[in-house]
Amino acid sequence: MKKALAVAKWEYLEKVKSKTFLIGLLLTPVLMIGMGVLPTYFAGQEDDRTRIVGVIDQTGELAPRFAEKLQKRYTLANGQPNYVVRVLAMGPAIDLRREVDEAGKLAAAESIDGVCVITSGVYSDSVVEFRSTSLGDFRIAGRMQEVLHDIVAEKKVLALGLDPGILKQLRIHVSVEPVKISKTGEKDSAGFETVFLSAYVFLMMLFLLIVTSGQMLVRSVIEEKSNRIVEILVSSCSPTDLMAGKVLGLSGLGFTQMAFWALIAVVVALQFGVSIIDPGNAALLVVYFILGYLFYAAVFIGAGSPLNTEQEAQQVTSYLVIVLILPLALALPAMKNPDALWLKVLTYIPFLTPTMMALRIPIQMPSVMEIVATVLLMVGSIYLAMVAAGRIFRIGILLTGKSPKLIEILRWARNG
Amino acid sequence: MLSIHHLRKDFSTARAVDDVSFDVHRGEIFGLLGPNGAGKTTTIRMILDILQPDAGEITYDGEKLSPPTRNRMGYLPEERGLYRKSKLHDTVLYFAELRGMTHSSAKRAAYGWLQRFGLWEHANRKVEELSKGNQQKVQFIVAVIHDPDLVILDEPFSGLDPVNQLMFKDALQELKQRNKAVIFSTHQMDQAEKLSDTLCLINKGRVVLGGTVRDVKKQYGSNALHVQYDGDGRFMKELPGVRRAIVYENSAELELAATARIQDLLSRINAQVEVRKFEVVEPSLHSIFINVVGGDGAGAVRPVEAQP
Repeated sequence: MKKALAVAKWEYLEKVKSKTFLIGLLLTPVLMIGMGVLPTYFAGQEDDRTRIVGVIDQTGELAPRFAEKLQKRYTLANGQPNYVVRVLAMGPAIDLRREVDEAGKLAAAESIDGVCVITSGVYSDSVVEFRSTSLGDFRIAGRMQEVLHDIVAEKKVLALGLDPGILKQLRIHVSVEPVKISKTGEKDSAGFETVFLSAYVFLMMLFLLIVTSGQMLVRSVIEEKSNRIVEILVSSCSPTDLMAGKVLGLSGLGFTQMAFWALIAVVVALQFGVSIIDPGNAALLVVYFILGYLFYAAVFIGAGSPLNTEQEAQQVTSYLVIVLILPLALALPAMKNPDALWLKVLTYIPFLTPTMMALRIPIQMPSVMEIVATVLLMVGSIYLAMVAAGRIFRIGILLTGKSPKLIEILRWARNG
Repeated sequence: MLSIHHLRKDFSTARAVDDVSFDVHRGEIFGLLGPNGAGKTTTIRMILDILQPDAGEITYDGEKLSPPTRNRMGYLPEERGLYRKSKLHDTVLYFAELRGMTHSSAKRAAYGWLQRFGLWEHANRKVEELSKGNQQKVQFIVAVIHDPDLVILDEPFSGLDPVNQLMFKDALQELKQRNKAVIFSTHQMDQAEKLSDTLCLINKGRVVLGGTVRDVKKQYGSNALHVQYDGDGRFMKELPGVRRAIVYENSAELELAATARIQDLLSRINAQVEVRKFEVVEPSLHSIFINVVGGDGAGAVRPVEAQP
């Protein structure tokens, strides 16, 4: 045990001091914040110049009012109108296809930013196309929609012989806010975005931490094998001590990293008054985090110790990355339907359990039964994985030259 | 102190070690010799408790190998390396602690060894910044820092420059004087002949010769004739009474059959070349090695490397 601690201390200190670790430690939060904050920030930015919107109007009556309203309603910070409307063609007689083609050329030549095509069907099916070379600006479509909404309603009210002023009274805004109900029945103000983000951020953290430390582990084993340090190591202490020390040291490293990131998260949260995660959830997530970390440490040791070259290591770790990344891809469907059977089934595959639970907890807290069952499943899996990894490790670390076939490795795992 | 009885180890493809037995005593330098692939490293790994033998027994001061006995052995592996990115001092301390030393005693010992090899001023440099010669010194320190009773060195002289070779030899002699046991493996026979008190020659996993250097030579029996001459000496291989000849440019080592008559031989040689010097000697380990290893019809066995 004393020797395992010596190994742990060494693994921890040598890696904490390494540049790779420091860079990862600092860069990851920067990246995460960057990925989370920047797109919203840029999306929220107002335009800095007037946009020219072309209009092709088959009804022959909406375009002037549309232009007037759009130009008046939205202005830039400097007081200039945000949008200037250029009526390209108007009237029932126009050749729609030809006009649209022409407008397309104008847009391509950048003399207009886009063209709004109002067909005569606008009164019945209410669909209007906005053609633009860049679809990135989703705000303009919303604004035009609002304006069109108003003027079409206006026309309809007039046609009924009513006073258009009545529209003001009739305009009702109802918005539906998703509110999550927590187990205690209290309402929880987390909206879709918060839930999605917290699930996603946590998954990303778990993923990054497992992958980086797993790679570190495999790389260190390969280094020790290639220069035969491993022979000195296993002549000094038992392979079990060596492996235990490596897992311990690496876990220490992972938790240092996580604690540091958590600290940043808390600071950011306090600073901006956003609560990403509920403390109760957080505690549970940490449990799954630790379980997942230990399980994958064993998996990486088992998969990495028979290998001899960096290339092989990269290949093997990339397979594991695919397994780990799977829940990330499932985040959206899981949010739409948190009760789906497939979600539950996937949760009970030990390779996916921690990540699936990390995905599910912020969306909808699984039942206590499920939590107990998955924790037990993980504890059992970790035990088995450690035993198997230990057996592979014992043989694998002394092996040089050609890497063994998968079937041989599995035999070692079974027989020891 | 170390007793090995009927050791056997099988790998899936071959039997690597077959019924190997020998003893190593305190105050003795023990040479484990053999061609490449003879089973030297496998035997060493079993002594170090890295590999489990399939049969046979190893005892250390009468005890079976156990975690505590590990702390009394030191090891220098054949292909040597260290953690390149780590600091010299940290590395030495780590390996010392792995051998069961406390942090403070490891520190003291590290200071002593690093001072002795002139490395103390580099203690805080990374291993990769050191010269190759200095790295080799560090590896040696790692093998002996915990003051083991048994030091095992696998091919300690390969890749060493002459200065470091001398240093290693001195260090081995010193260990011997301090009543430690040293096992070293090599396929360089002249090294073994000069250094070892006792030796064991392994070929294809089996012990072929063993004992003190003198014993081995006696077991082997025959004497050799060393001749220096001017002229073409190739004919000497065919002379009667010569069991085997290694003929160089201007000298030859002739291994004599028991029946050989030296006077006859000499006059025959003198008739064809001009003899400048001759001497009757015990056979060198080198020639014994070639004879024993190469003489069993194993074409795959490579000749012994010449000493630089």
